[in-house]
Amino acid sequence: MNPAVQGKAYPDVPFVVDPERVDAFRAVAGQVNGRATGVPPTFVTAAEFSVFPTIVGDPELGLDFTRVVHGTQEYAYERPLVEGETLLVRARIESIRERGGTGFLTVVMELVGADGEVACTARSMMIERAAGER
Amino acid sequence: MSDRLAVDTVAVGDELPELRRVMTREDVRAYAEVSGDSNPLHLDDDAARAAGFDGVIAHGMFTMAHMASCVVAWAGEAGWVERVAAQFRAPVPMGAEIVAGGRVRSVDLETGLVTVEAWVSMLAEGDGVDEVGWPVKKGEVVLRLT
Repeated sequence: MNPAVQGKAYPDVPFVVDPERVDAFRAVAGQVNGRATGVPPTFVTAAEFSVFPTIVGDPELGLDFTRVVHGTQEYAYERPLVEGETLLVRARIESIRERGGTGFLTVVMELVGADGEVACTARSMMIERAAGER
Repeated sequence: MSDRLAVDTVAVGDELPELRRVMTREDVRAYAEVSGDSNPLHLDDDAARAAGFDGVIAHGMFTMAHMASCVVAWAGEAGWVERVAAQFRAPVPMGAEIVAGGRVRSVDLETGLVTVEAWVSMLAEGDGVDEVGWPVKKGEVVLRLT
């Protein structure tokens, strides 16, 4: 990975909290009580994946996705999400670190509501294993 | 029938009911579709082996969703999740049973914030109650009880 890419921001991408997709996610994730318990807290991984291909495929970043595993993930909400709302996904590379040939990439994605306020902040840490390591 | 969870009845050390499921290819395919993560690691045995695994593995995020479901099932309609975090460790092969659990670590009566330490452990096929791995360690869920 190219450490000079640290701090790089990507263009905003819209993401709709589609009620049907939320229902499907509840069913797959095993969330009970349907709509009464709100949008599943990890549902917005779908928002991340609308931007992820851009980051993973960024030649400037130089990520070898065949060697990448997911290290940690967190979502912090300022408010509950509303089904049907449109969010803007604002992604940036927060940090790139390297230790002994293993790379650690942290990506932050802010989900911005129609009011311009951040509704949720997602932070993903990906580990690019050293070449030749299993 | 359990009472609605309330901030004045939740206590530090309370254990959440466990949530279990056996991972199947169908589940993982369904998760790939709904999440948008179609990394071949989760869908194609050959691709998974090329990456050093014995066969397809479940998405780490799928185990995190399972962990969140465990906490949401316990909280019910009493609150909403302000924060959920997880560290991914053991890969989950098909046929493994994953068990999500949690324990209340702190309760703030004024703000209604409840912090739960959460995790997902894994039992291998036919292995009885021996735990063989931790798909999720150092999981944390912060609930705001309303």
